[in-house]
Amino acid sequence: MKKIIHTLACCALLVACDLREEPYGFYSRNNFYKSEADAESGLMYAYNALTFLEYSRGIFYIGDIPTETMSPKSDEAGDVYQLENWIAGRETEQLKYYFKFCYIAINRANAVIDRLEDNPHVGETARRRILGEARFLRAWNYFNLVRTFGLVPVQTRTVAELSQTTPPMARDLDQLYDLVFADLTVADDLLQIDKRFGRADKAAAQSLMAKAYLTVASAKEHGVYRYREMRRDPQTMYDSAAYWAGKVVRDYAANYGFDDDLRAIYDVAKPDGPEHIFIMANDRSGTQEGNYSKLPLMFLPSNNSVPFYIRYGDGSLQRANGNGWGVFLCNDEFVENAFSTTDRRRTELIHRTIYDQTGQPIVPNQVRGYFSSKYVDPDFIGERTSARPFLIRFSDIALVYAEAAGPEAGLPYVNRIRSRAGIPLLPEGMSVAEFRAAVIRERALELAFEGNRLFDLRRTASVTTTDIKAAGLSEAEAAYYPIPQREIDLNPNL
Amino acid sequence: MKPKLSACFGRRLSILSCALLLSLAARAQQMLDGRVTADGAPLVGAGVVIKGTTKGVSTDVSGNFSIRVAEGDVLQIGYVGYRSREITVTAAMTFVEAELESENVIDDVVVVGYGSMRRSDVTGSVVSVSMDALRDISSPSVEGLLQGRAAGLQIMNTSQDPGSGAEVRIRGNSSLNGSNTPLVVVDGFPIGDAGNLSQLNPSDIESIEILKDASSAAIYGSRGANGVILITTHKARGGRTDVTVNHRTTVGYFTDRLNVWRDPLLMAQIANEELTNAGLPALYTGRYENGTYYPSLIEIQRGEWSRTDWADLCLRTAIVNNTTLSVAHSTERGSVNASVGYYDDQGVYRKDGFKKGNVQLNGTWKLGRNFTLQASNLFSIHERRVNNTLEYGRNPLWPVYDENGDYYISSLTDFSHPLVVTDNTKNSTAGRDLISSLAAEWEIVGGLKLRTQLNYNYATSVHDAYNASNTSQEAFDMKGIARIDNGHSQDVLTETYLTFQRSFGNRHNLSVMAGHSFDYETARSLSTTAYGFVNDALGNENMGSGDPQKNVVRNTYSMSKLLSFYGRANYSLDDKYLFTFTMRADGSSKFGRNSKWGYFPSGAVSWKMHNEAWMKQARGIDEFKLRVSWGISGNQGISPYQTLDRLGVEKYWFADKWQTVIGPGYEADREGANDRYVVWGGIANPDLKWESTRQWNIGLDMAFLDARLRLTVDLYDKYTTDLLREKYLPLSSSYDKMWVNDGNIRNRGFEATLDGQIVRNEKFSLSATLIFSLNRNKVCGLGNAVSSGLSTDYLTGMQYEYCGQSLPMFNANPSIYAVGYPMYVFYGYRTAGIIQQGEDPGFMSSDGKDLPGEFRYVDLNGDYAIDDRDRCIIGDPNPDFTASLNMAFRYRNLDVSLFFNGVFGNDVIYNGYTYDPRVKTKRWTPDNPTNRYPRLNSTRSYLFSDYFVHDGSFVRLQQLNIGYTIPVRRAFLRSIRLFANIENLFTLTGFEGYDPETGVDGIYWGGYPRLRKYTFGLELKF
Repeated sequence: MKKIIHTLACCALLVACDLREEPYGFYSRNNFYKSEADAESGLMYAYNALTFLEYSRGIFYIGDIPTETMSPKSDEAGDVYQLENWIAGRETEQLKYYFKFCYIAINRANAVIDRLEDNPHVGETARRRILGEARFLRAWNYFNLVRTFGLVPVQTRTVAELSQTTPPMARDLDQLYDLVFADLTVADDLLQIDKRFGRADKAAAQSLMAKAYLTVASAKEHGVYRYREMRRDPQTMYDSAAYWAGKVVRDYAANYGFDDDLRAIYDVAKPDGPEHIFIMANDRSGTQEGNYSKLPLMFLPSNNSVPFYIRYGDGSLQRANGNGWGVFLCNDEFVENAFSTTDRRRTELIHRTIYDQTGQPIVPNQVRGYFSSKYVDPDFIGERTSARPFLIRFSDIALVYAEAAGPEAGLPYVNRIRSRAGIPLLPEGMSVAEFRAAVIRERALELAFEGNRLFDLRRTASVTTTDIKAAGLSEAEAAYYPIPQREIDLNPNL
Repeated sequence: MKPKLSACFGRRLSILSCALLLSLAARAQQMLDGRVTADGAPLVGAGVVIKGTTKGVSTDVSGNFSIRVAEGDVLQIGYVGYRSREITVTAAMTFVEAELESENVIDDVVVVGYGSMRRSDVTGSVVSVSMDALRDISSPSVEGLLQGRAAGLQIMNTSQDPGSGAEVRIRGNSSLNGSNTPLVVVDGFPIGDAGNLSQLNPSDIESIEILKDASSAAIYGSRGANGVILITTHKARGGRTDVTVNHRTTVGYFTDRLNVWRDPLLMAQIANEELTNAGLPALYTGRYENGTYYPSLIEIQRGEWSRTDWADLCLRTAIVNNTTLSVAHSTERGSVNASVGYYDDQGVYRKDGFKKGNVQLNGTWKLGRNFTLQASNLFSIHERRVNNTLEYGRNPLWPVYDENGDYYISSLTDFSHPLVVTDNTKNSTAGRDLISSLAAEWEIVGGLKLRTQLNYNYATSVHDAYNASNTSQEAFDMKGIARIDNGHSQDVLTETYLTFQRSFGNRHNLSVMAGHSFDYETARSLSTTAYGFVNDALGNENMGSGDPQKNVVRNTYSMSKLLSFYGRANYSLDDKYLFTFTMRADGSSKFGRNSKWGYFPSGAVSWKMHNEAWMKQARGIDEFKLRVSWGISGNQGISPYQTLDRLGVEKYWFADKWQTVIGPGYEADREGANDRYVVWGGIANPDLKWESTRQWNIGLDMAFLDARLRLTVDLYDKYTTDLLREKYLPLSSSYDKMWVNDGNIRNRGFEATLDGQIVRNEKFSLSATLIFSLNRNKVCGLGNAVSSGLSTDYLTGMQYEYCGQSLPMFNANPSIYAVGYPMYVFYGYRTAGIIQQGEDPGFMSSDGKDLPGEFRYVDLNGDYAIDDRDRCIIGDPNPDFTASLNMAFRYRNLDVSLFFNGVFGNDVIYNGYTYDPRVKTKRWTPDNPTNRYPRLNSTRSYLFSDYFVHDGSFVRLQQLNIGYTIPVRRAFLRSIRLFANIENLFTLTGFEGYDPETGVDGIYWGGYPRLRKYTFGLELKF
């Protein structure tokens, strides 16, 4: 009898023992991307890749630090000095992480695109919008990869298993720009004007299209390495850039336009202002960095953790974190020579003195140089702020339009920006070349410390003549950063 | 009869070993009565068997038996834990009085996995540790007590905080990312990793066996690679009722002076010099900094400033109270053991403590002749209240209270006032544990037994925490942080196995065991955090009163199954040649889809040379046994679901709220300075499996001079392959790492135990045990250098990766895994003293590292600069060898024992060495051009150098134990024992910090001095 019981017990156990594992408490490919809400959530996952500090700080490490506009504090640890001194290489950590996060965002966008194509559970309206945004994001990241690294691997499907982890290298820049333009053309078709803070819409897709066309146009015109070989005509590219930028600057006045109040552009309480075509979604109520932003700490000097105040021309005071690290310093020469002393972008947005709450200067202080107040959140909670990188700004696209369209059509847009800054207007009758050079200079001032400058220098082949620290390099060497070493080592398909 | 041996090996007990040699033949002619006793009391249930037959009886409650015998029969009288006796029946015999003696070492019964065997028949490397030597020491868990008690067992008591456990290793480290800790098995129930087995009252433990080699541990298959610790709890025996009450009180004092500033003037001078040397304005000049006034030196000298003794406010004398009451009762029908224990440790820090209560209830019932039921229950409740981060080195110039009578806070960012922290922080964890098992054993026919056991282990804990807004920057920013975390886990395990034991003729002995087990483990947790409280009055009592938008809720669940089949065959020929073969197959749900089943074989042979005729002539040699074993065991390492693909979950700010967003790639880890960078995982590896350890062992057991001198030596070679590691993927894959099996580690070593019974007679005995262990660890491979992300040493081409944690002082990981070197070796710069004035430092530096008074780093690559390429291996935390010596002395009823423990040839990182006041005051100055201590410099960025690597060797008088037993011949009271124990009476070491005993990584964290613990106790037996 007992034997029988034992035998039965043993058999029961064997049957009960299925060694397969079912995921519990986490999502996997089998239990996600089933519904519209899933697709929406997956799409925002792709946006969220941009908020990680590897990416969001990379915007400044790459866009500003290597130029004449901004330098890291002298004792900043890590590899930032390599970018500053134009000795960045395959191991430079900021480049490695930026590269990685572009692909993370691409993979997240690819997952949405792959799973949405034949998903019967998503309605047509939502499907068009979600797919459009995902295409925009993929283009956004490939565009940033190509202007940072040049030729890069191309991954257009979700990576699900080991065999997919070694994507092939792009043959040439045409292949990458084909991908960018194709994605943006689809995105333009799928998206509507739908201004929502933290998301991209039709205007964002058109803006990015304009920026990409302008990059190809000017880079080809200036004979930038690799762009030289592209099968595209500069004038056609300029015209295309003007076409798309023109749509943005003219057609959506109800949603997008110039903000006449310069400081309002940088007011963290107004992320949905008319200037903001695409802005990063950070909020101080988040619980981890990325959700909230520590960007002000990068720009602001330390005041021993005691909050200090920034004083503006009208005498108003703005509260600022007292525990800044003062990493991103505006270069003295740039501030003092490039800006006119009356330029409100200098007087209102660049500072060298900190104040207490009564408006008295704090002396002595730990201010080590000029600092920008474009990223200040007066309502910070400890280190948590809502300061956000500006990803696509209306003024940027207005200047893209001006540069692409030339002096005749472009002049009013440049002058609108100059008058907002309170500086003399550009004269009429400039040559196209003069005008374009003036627009590039204007971009340096208007978009200073917004992650823009390096790409303007690169596409006009003027890195080595502008930043003294790049003087020893050739323009070809300055045109791209090398693909990070880990990618070279581990991807045999490069 | 050979004399009893070392006190180190005590009584053994196991049901299975009741089986005596049986045979089918039988004759009967007359009735013989008798009585079996032990220690002067009748033995209930002792077996009386006619040798060579299956015929036998058991003794009754009075120890009496009656058996039908024939003249010339040999009676074998046995009882577990006692030496069996043989008595030849003569015609004149009418009554047999048999007194059994406790087993000595040679004939001890040893518990092994799924059974037990005579020590002399063991073919593997198994060490028994008797609890006798440890019975007078208070400890929350047993592991710490085992330090130095077994060769090859390394125990590191790294923390002295209440309720803390120990790091436990058997024969070195063999895993990079999996556990290196042995498996603990309590009464046949595998509980998990050793380290802090507080569920069990050490007083309830009867004996401990350590399985070291593959032949003994491979029966535990995929969990046996780190060795196994088998724990057997007390079982009543001897047919009587024993009641024992034991109380111990322990008082702990520091063995070293606290390393804090006692002279505020000197502190201020040093602080000023430190700042001035760094080119900063001096602090103690009578000025405000950060809103705090720092008096000038003259003001301090005038004594106008308070001199707060912060240590006195933070610390106290540590007191431990430990009481155990146990009852053991046995009859011929069964036995019951019950015990209740209470343990209360008040830590060194105020309001820091650990309390627990243990209840044990074991029972055995004999249901009929062949059927036995056993139940075992261990229940414990425990509570750890944590308050162990008080800053006892706070500035002595700062008063406790300000002029308003409130606590004095130096600035808005001063969150380290110890009384503020103590009064406004809650951090406690309370838990309950149940380890329960029910077993049935059925002797189907003579020699064939079926045992089935159902085990259940349940653990639950609740963690309560509150940080008021004045206790940390984060709590200040978030206006209070409240937490409640709940967790519970359970483990259901069934084992069923058959044991067959039989002798064929006089020459062949065979025993076979085969069985299967099924293990089902689940764990759940729920943790809640709330922020943003109006005030701190309620702490975490009403988490709903926080800011609802900031609530954080997390929950987890995991499940794993392990299905196993195992078997063992032991065969001996002529009691000279012994063979063991074991096999286990483990199927685990945790392993990847393509490698669900692992197979773990082992084999061993042993040659009892002392039973050879030619050896028997050798006088003085009682035992000479050679053992050789080989086998493979595994290490699971993988956690549940680790082989599956996994999407990440994050938050994204959209439409004015936090949206939950989901997609490919999840945050598997963090890396970089302050863990700022995310490491992305989540790609599936269906091939992932266990780590595999192949081990050779050659051992020799020798006994000389009537077994008064015993020597056991073992040589082993352990080679671990398929190390669980993370392989890097191309950046463009969007994943960082993927778990793979890749890499090898070797541990080779030598162990010796010398046991001497120097004097032994009725009144007086003296014995000594010397234990020596030597292990050589080597990382043999870390996989492909590129995909493993290995770094290469500039000078030697050595490939390595960082391991362990980054030390803030150096902003670097000091330890590496380097191919060809032991695990955890230190990697950094060499120094050659201090740069003297006018001397060429041998390198140039842009940040003042080449100034006089700074470290003279050695420019190994000769480029006149000090950078990454000048690094080399500068230390090894693995000891050259460890040794311990236990001496036991008894005179009549007085017993004294001394236990020395030593670790030799290991290096320790003295983290924060130059921050110590004692070191600072010996600083280099132009007038004091020492070559040993650098100048003061408050902004120096320290490179991790050999200056911080110190010799960690030490010899400690770990225990001095004195006991006196008063025999009482009252009806109810049997004996009174008074004892005193001093732990850590002295430590001989060259180490300059408080104490050199660190964890396996060799990092010394400071903390507080080691305690010398005085324990006084009383034990009453009824």
